Amino acid sequence: MKTVYERFRGPVFAISMSVLHDHGLAADATQQTFIKAWQAATTYDPDRELGPWIYAIARRTAIDIYRKSSRALASDEVDTTALPPALDTIWEVFEVRSAIDRLPDEERQVIKLSHFDGLTHVEIAEHMGIPVGTVKSRSHRAHQRLIELLRHVEET
Amino acid sequence: MSDRRAEYLASASGPAPDDRDRLDLIRDILGDEATWAEPPPEVADRLLRAIGSERTSAEPAVSTLKRNWGWVAAAAAAVVIVAGLFGVFSPPAEQLVAMEGTDLEPDATGEVTIRESDAGWWIRLDVEDLPAAGDGTYYEGWVWNDDGDGVSIGTFHLRGGDQSVVLWSGVDPDDYPAIWVTLEDEDGDPAASDRIVMWGRPNG
Repeated sequence: MKTVYERFRGPVFAISMSVLHDHGLAADATQQTFIKAWQAATTYDPDRELGPWIYAIARRTAIDIYRKSSRALASDEVDTTALPPALDTIWEVFEVRSAIDRLPDEERQVIKLSHFDGLTHVEIAEHMGIPVGTVKSRSHRAHQRLIELLRHVEET
Repeated sequence: MSDRRAEYLASASGPAPDDRDRLDLIRDILGDEATWAEPPPEVADRLLRAIGSERTSAEPAVSTLKRNWGWVAAAAAAVVIVAGLFGVFSPPAEQLVAMEGTDLEPDATGEVTIRESDAGWWIRLDVEDLPAAGDGTYYEGWVWNDDGDGVSIGTFHLRGGDQSVVLWSGVDPDDYPAIWVTLEDEDGDPAASDRIVMWGRPNG
């Protein structure tokens, strides 16, 4: 389980955050996901990919917690059986995070500084204390790896 | 288009046009905080403790409760197999306990989370398919020891639609290992009724 957790904790937490927008609830969802996976391990078909199986459990768990938290806060007019609004994209979130986690550390850092922090190559170079050319080459390699890792994700 | 994005697309070593579309597809996801969020370190510890607890709770136990323990033995056997696949874990500080409905509420299922605190034992009961208690009645949670002594851990009714309730115990669940939920009448009688609707056992 330790191996499975280390491999999928990032993607599971990412989709939990996408659905729940709360670190505490997402942590609960992550914990429950892996417990349920452990409980259901005998039903897992080893000939199938592990990622989609974990994803299905995580998605269901996050939805359940979303509905429970909605019930706790909702008025009578609110439909507490409604699905979370972010549900359409969480498969892509799961896949993107899985791909990010497979990048070498220095390439993952460049991707994060570029896309999440919005830094230019020059700013990344200053931040990391490396030449701009190195940033460009790492960025190129990182994006090529992401493209390959995410090639199977269908456009929506 | 952002300066960063323009810079990237304009670079001589940038991706091919088809791949640019793919990058556009994931760009929003890469810019989302959720994508980069990390679970708190304690999640791993809580997970291992909880799984360790489940392994323990699935072992057959001696009890004064008149139950058919056949399913427990089967569960224990399954746990041994699964443990072989997923490794060995340390004893728990937080426990998860599966709850099941009795003949009175056979569709009810649930889970109890027990966490020790400075004030006592925090016990969260999450249930599914347990109907709200009717007028003039309420549910009561109990922890029960093997000598037949029970201690109430709180009352609730589930009439608001929520299926999660937090209860508290002032006695150690290790000493009172059975958890019951009973249906009670509002008659002032503090004793447990014999209408047990759900039960579970955290420590075998």
